[in-house]
Amino acid sequence: MRADITLLLEGTYPFVSGGVSSWVHQIIRAFPEWRFHLVFLGSRREDYGPMRYELPSNVAGLETHYLFEPEAPPPLEVLEPSPQVMAEVEALHTSFLAGVPPAQAMARMASMYPTLLQGDHLTREHFLRSRAAWETICSRYKRFCTDPSFVDYFWTVRIMHAPLWKLAAIARNLPASRVYHTISTGYAGFLGALAKAHHRRPLILSEHGIYTKERKIDLLQAQWIKDNRNVFQRDPTEVSYYRSLWIRFFEWLGRACYEAAQPIIALYEANRQRQIQDGANPARTRLIPNGVNLARFAPLRAQRSTRVPPVLCLIGRVVPIKDVKTFIRAMRRVVNVLPEAEGWIAGPEDEDPGYAQECRNLVASLGLTEKVRFLGFQKVDELLPKIGLTVLSSISEALPLVILEGYAAGVPTLATDVGSCRQLVEGLTPEDRALGPSGAIVGIADPTALADAALALLTDEARWQAASRAAIARVETYYADQMMFDAYRKVYSEAMERG
Amino acid sequence: MAGIGFELRKLLARNTLGGVLQAYAYAGMIGSGPWVLSIIGILLVGVLASGIVVPPSLVTQFQTTVTYLIAFSLILTGGLQLAFTRYVSDRLFEQRDELVLPNLHGVLGLTLAGAAALSTLALATLFEGVSFAYRVLVVMAFTELAGVWVLAVLLSGLKRYKAIVLLFAVAYSLVVGLAYALAPFGLEGLLAAFALGQLVLLGGMWWTVARAYPSPRSVSYHCLRRRTFYPSLLVTGTLYNLAVWADKFLFWAWPETSEPVIGPLRGSLIYDLPVFLAYLSIVPGMAVFLVRIETDFAEYYDKFFTAVREGASLEYIQDMRDEMVYAVRQGLGEIAKIQFIAVLATFVAGPSLLALLGISGLYLPLLQIQVVGASLQVMLLAILNVLFYLDRRRIVVALTAIFLLANTLFTVLTLKLGAPFYGYGFAIALLTTVALGLILLDRKLDRLEYETFMFQ
Repeated sequence: MRADITLLLEGTYPFVSGGVSSWVHQIIRAFPEWRFHLVFLGSRREDYGPMRYELPSNVAGLETHYLFEPEAPPPLEVLEPSPQVMAEVEALHTSFLAGVPPAQAMARMASMYPTLLQGDHLTREHFLRSRAAWETICSRYKRFCTDPSFVDYFWTVRIMHAPLWKLAAIARNLPASRVYHTISTGYAGFLGALAKAHHRRPLILSEHGIYTKERKIDLLQAQWIKDNRNVFQRDPTEVSYYRSLWIRFFEWLGRACYEAAQPIIALYEANRQRQIQDGANPARTRLIPNGVNLARFAPLRAQRSTRVPPVLCLIGRVVPIKDVKTFIRAMRRVVNVLPEAEGWIAGPEDEDPGYAQECRNLVASLGLTEKVRFLGFQKVDELLPKIGLTVLSSISEALPLVILEGYAAGVPTLATDVGSCRQLVEGLTPEDRALGPSGAIVGIADPTALADAALALLTDEARWQAASRAAIARVETYYADQMMFDAYRKVYSEAMERG
Repeated sequence: MAGIGFELRKLLARNTLGGVLQAYAYAGMIGSGPWVLSIIGILLVGVLASGIVVPPSLVTQFQTTVTYLIAFSLILTGGLQLAFTRYVSDRLFEQRDELVLPNLHGVLGLTLAGAAALSTLALATLFEGVSFAYRVLVVMAFTELAGVWVLAVLLSGLKRYKAIVLLFAVAYSLVVGLAYALAPFGLEGLLAAFALGQLVLLGGMWWTVARAYPSPRSVSYHCLRRRTFYPSLLVTGTLYNLAVWADKFLFWAWPETSEPVIGPLRGSLIYDLPVFLAYLSIVPGMAVFLVRIETDFAEYYDKFFTAVREGASLEYIQDMRDEMVYAVRQGLGEIAKIQFIAVLATFVAGPSLLALLGISGLYLPLLQIQVVGASLQVMLLAILNVLFYLDRRRIVVALTAIFLLANTLFTVLTLKLGAPFYGYGFAIALLTTVALGLILLDRKLDRLEYETFMFQ
């Protein structure tokens, strides 16, 4: 069935809950007049549980694809691809090498889309079985690979390329849609580029985090990527060959998406700059921050007691990226000065049980068992009236909804200087800044600064009230969901008209 | 014959002329020992009995009967031998040694029962005018032989080469000795000696396996399950043995080259003796084949696949492939050289050899071409062995099928063409198969890394 908007979702909605998924749910429900088609891309089927959201009635269809699910092997002997196609492949790969202008590489890449999409000139069978593919792999290994292990090179190349044919097939079979909208770069973003090339409809990109950057962090930490260089071959300043291969791969996928998408939407200014740095055309970039439902949170303000509760609350999953330990260490200092203070940690602990246990141990060893409480998953509506500050000790964030929800309920925030947090606390434009600080910003992994900033707000009634007022004004002026919906309505309408 | 390489390499590693000689002698002994011993044993029985057994045609009847027994038992069990050896070596690789004995019992039970049933049926319906004792002894001997082949190939799979040669030596000495003692009972006496010798051989081999691989279970048919059984090996083994005997059968069946010997069994006076003698000429070729393939080739084969698995560079993988190819080329070349010498020796010394053995010089041309044919058969064995190593079972099936077809076709042709062409059918069939085998092997080796990686 024909859809108005096809959403390309990699590893999120509707099977994984979290910030991006809630946002998608929010967007679909905001436009009941349009029909949505959902394309979920996952790694393997068993990595996902049941659906976490009830699909709104304007979702016309949901298709799920698993990029790393094993497929039936092709026959052993296959027809060889034509020499022209192999020459194109070779030229494309060569244009990815350092020193070639990205625009030229992008032009080559885009010129390959029809070959890939046609589905008979350059097939998965060709890639997996043909003598020509083998020879290309061998010659590139000999010319460029700095890691001695050929078998690892071989499998890296195979695993890296295998999803491309799945994506091409998905793109070919997508139902007709007026607009394609991808919520990340990466595989979904590349699918968007292919869908645009095949169906000749506009592609919109909304990035919450920066996919390529997050992938880079993952890849630099990944244990599964081999480094076979021995002590003498290894230069510690040089990233292992396979890591850099993967990083480059995602960088180019990202570029392909930036090249095809218009507009390229970021949540906040720092990310927009990052997109430009990664290859996005500045003229096509836009800022549309997340928004919260004021009608839902405004009534909570009335539920607050007149006195500021000395409660610091970290709302989020108990995982290392949230740096819960810094929050716990800060609590020791807060409690030393303000004995009635409490620290709450509201979020599921099942994602990284080892880390959660370490946090509990830390609480015990700092003698805070009476003061720091692990609440598990909580409804924010019930939580917000009871707390004095939302706290984010994270080492990485995008545009945290928790801060905005707290603002809407009149709760100031205490956050590390990551993502858009400074913008949310201090304001972005001069008018925004004029509203005053709606909390405080501290450096990452600095429990002393965190504690001191918390004490300053909680022990100074006037200061807290000023921050609370600034928070409410800021969220109502810049981060109301209605503003976000209006912005997206405009984006969608323009794209549909542009055709 | 996997695994013999270790002992050979030890001998070769001394790097002395003595060591090399010992290695080749050892390889010759274990490669050819069993059938050399059988051939010599049967010939000796004939020589010893010739004065005692009357009439002398009974000796011919004995030798013909034994030849048929060997031919049919090999054809019957040839497929099972390969399939079962593969099963055993796969299990040993998995270190599940306890599966060996019960599955041997399962396979042996089926083989013995099948052989007994088939031979009883044949003896009851086709053999008119022979004694009851003859029938019973033939059924016994046939059943035992079938078991002997299964065990012999299992023991070589288990690398107990010395035990095999030793047991064959003991068993055939016993056959010769008993034959001398029982010769007064005529044909039945000789057959009884043969059957008793085989019984000792069978028992000895079983005991060797049972002692080395004890198991709590007594019988299992695990090896016949679809996951562990390779039908292509069954086909290969059967086709190969049929092919090897095809020309002999045709010579026995062709009226002009054969005469009735006993019951439905016919023999070919002009063909059989040269064939027997020719097979003795391939001992050096077999020795070279074992030394070359099981040392250099096997070593680089291991290095190649270890390099693939454990992440060596492509250059190293290709080097190992090149070394493998070189070892194969070297091995085949050396077999060709040494067999060429054997052929030359037959041409030069053949006449006097035949004279010495009291055999008519008319046999000479046939002997010469048979030596060429048998030499080519060693080449074919070497090629098939390398293909087995590379696990290219489909090619092996194709090659053995072609061998069977060519041997049948060309032998019939030479029989029609007349006496001057006898023996050429076998040789040309082998030449064709070997040539084709070389081309296919060459292609496989050329595509080795490509197929190893891209066919995953």
